[in-house]
Amino acid sequence: MSTPLQVYEPFRAGLPKLGRYWKSLWARRTFIKEYSKSELREQHFDSVFGQLWLVLNPLLLSGVYFILIVIIGGATDSARYAHLTASLFLFYLVSNSLTGGVKSVTAGQRLILNTAFPRIMLPISAVVIAIFKFLPTLIVLVAVKVVLGSPFTLEMLWAIPVLLITIFLALALAIAISCVNVYFRDIASFLPYLTRTLLYLSPILYEASALKSSLKLIETFNPLFPILDSWSRAMVHGQAPQLSSMLEGLAWATGIFFVGTYFFLSREREFAVRL
Amino acid sequence: MGLTYTTSIDKKPTLKSRVKSLGRGTKQTRIVRALDDVNLDVQFGHVLGVIGTNGAGKSSLMRCVAGILPPSQGRIEVYGTVSTLLALGVGFNPSMSGRDNVFLGGLAAGMSREEIANNFEEIAEFSELGDAIDAPMRTYSSGMYARLAFSVAAVVRPDILIIDEALSTGDAKFKEKSLNRVKELRSDDRALILVSHAMQTLRDTCNDVVWLHKGKLVQRGEPNVVIDAYQEFLHLGKSAVIDEDF
Repeated sequence: MSTPLQVYEPFRAGLPKLGRYWKSLWARRTFIKEYSKSELREQHFDSVFGQLWLVLNPLLLSGVYFILIVIIGGATDSARYAHLTASLFLFYLVSNSLTGGVKSVTAGQRLILNTAFPRIMLPISAVVIAIFKFLPTLIVLVAVKVVLGSPFTLEMLWAIPVLLITIFLALALAIAISCVNVYFRDIASFLPYLTRTLLYLSPILYEASALKSSLKLIETFNPLFPILDSWSRAMVHGQAPQLSSMLEGLAWATGIFFVGTYFFLSREREFAVRL
Repeated sequence: MGLTYTTSIDKKPTLKSRVKSLGRGTKQTRIVRALDDVNLDVQFGHVLGVIGTNGAGKSSLMRCVAGILPPSQGRIEVYGTVSTLLALGVGFNPSMSGRDNVFLGGLAAGMSREEIANNFEEIAEFSELGDAIDAPMRTYSSGMYARLAFSVAAVVRPDILIIDEALSTGDAKFKEKSLNRVKELRSDDRALILVSHAMQTLRDTCNDVVWLHKGKLVQRGEPNVVIDAYQEFLHLGKSAVIDEDF
């Protein structure tokens, strides 16, 4: 063999050979799935209900907001409760991706220091775990719609592309924040406040149409705003979302993905030294 | 090649000292020269032993060759697939059974599900765990854990295999078994790099031995010659070669 299969030289910020990198990542897809499943299993390992918490969590959350809005708040509009539940579940897909993603690289120190593999696998696994946690909420959501008598229409199928855009955005954010955490560990401590702020700035506790015109800046600079609005229109109201909202959400997801992935891939060789 | 990195030192990790250092904008750092101008090559069919005291740079060298750590100077050319046994149980999840962890560990090492399934019986038999393979690994003793981890890693058949002090796992019987497995892996189309403190193992197994000290290559040659010089250094606490250069 006269040509080296691999050459290792001093780290310089810059992308690795992308073709080979993605091939290597694709070859690890089974490991990503099994690693994510094992991490998820470990989260509820010692509890009585175990994996049942994947369904109990969204059910209980839905129940708490039912008490808040309908019983204490006295709301008679069932659509408000359905909107809040649906939007909150989708929001948690993103926030769980962020929470899992931020520590994915630093928590994977043992793997990183002892095995050569595409490091982007770690934030991807965090998003896969968030998706596993999200899926049971769809069952709860359907049950809520049935109980409330919300319409089931063909336009609800628009929820599929909206969900795909959300997963893309969640992945982009997880990749970006996992890399930032390697250099600035405090971001993990700031994150709960960031996600809480994002929750209040997103159309979850209120509908997008109820936002005052003086606060339109929120709509412009919040990447989740158009996606959550689209999701609510499709899942709760059974209407087709606005194409401009979906494109706006896709643009945000694409922009963050390219910036975050470039930052991650150009610096991942340095992670083992930093950790 | 060389490997140098900077690490920060926080002598007093208290709130007061952190506030003071933030205000001053200073942070104490230390430059670590883990490897310094190390030149070596390993041919297919050879077993290279690496010896040195703690902190000599042995593990750093292995990680550079495996592509885990990028060198700071120089270049490393690798002519084949690399598999590493730098730590046992990488990728394992203690809350899962030994059986599930065989798959996890194998996938972490780069094997496919089919490869692991085809080799599962061999792994289970080699580990000598019996029915315990279906129990959660958190119930295992350290010896059982290490035996299963080694069994998973040893089934991989790469072009270049790097083993970092993993042969000291388990009881005496298993140590002999794992050493025999390493000897089986020696072949004309494979290169082995073995880091160990077990000098007799290195004398019996290696074609060449390299002695590292404080990141520098002190000596390379016949296992008996290099190991004898190293042991003399350890017993007397000095060596003419080391005194001149360090």
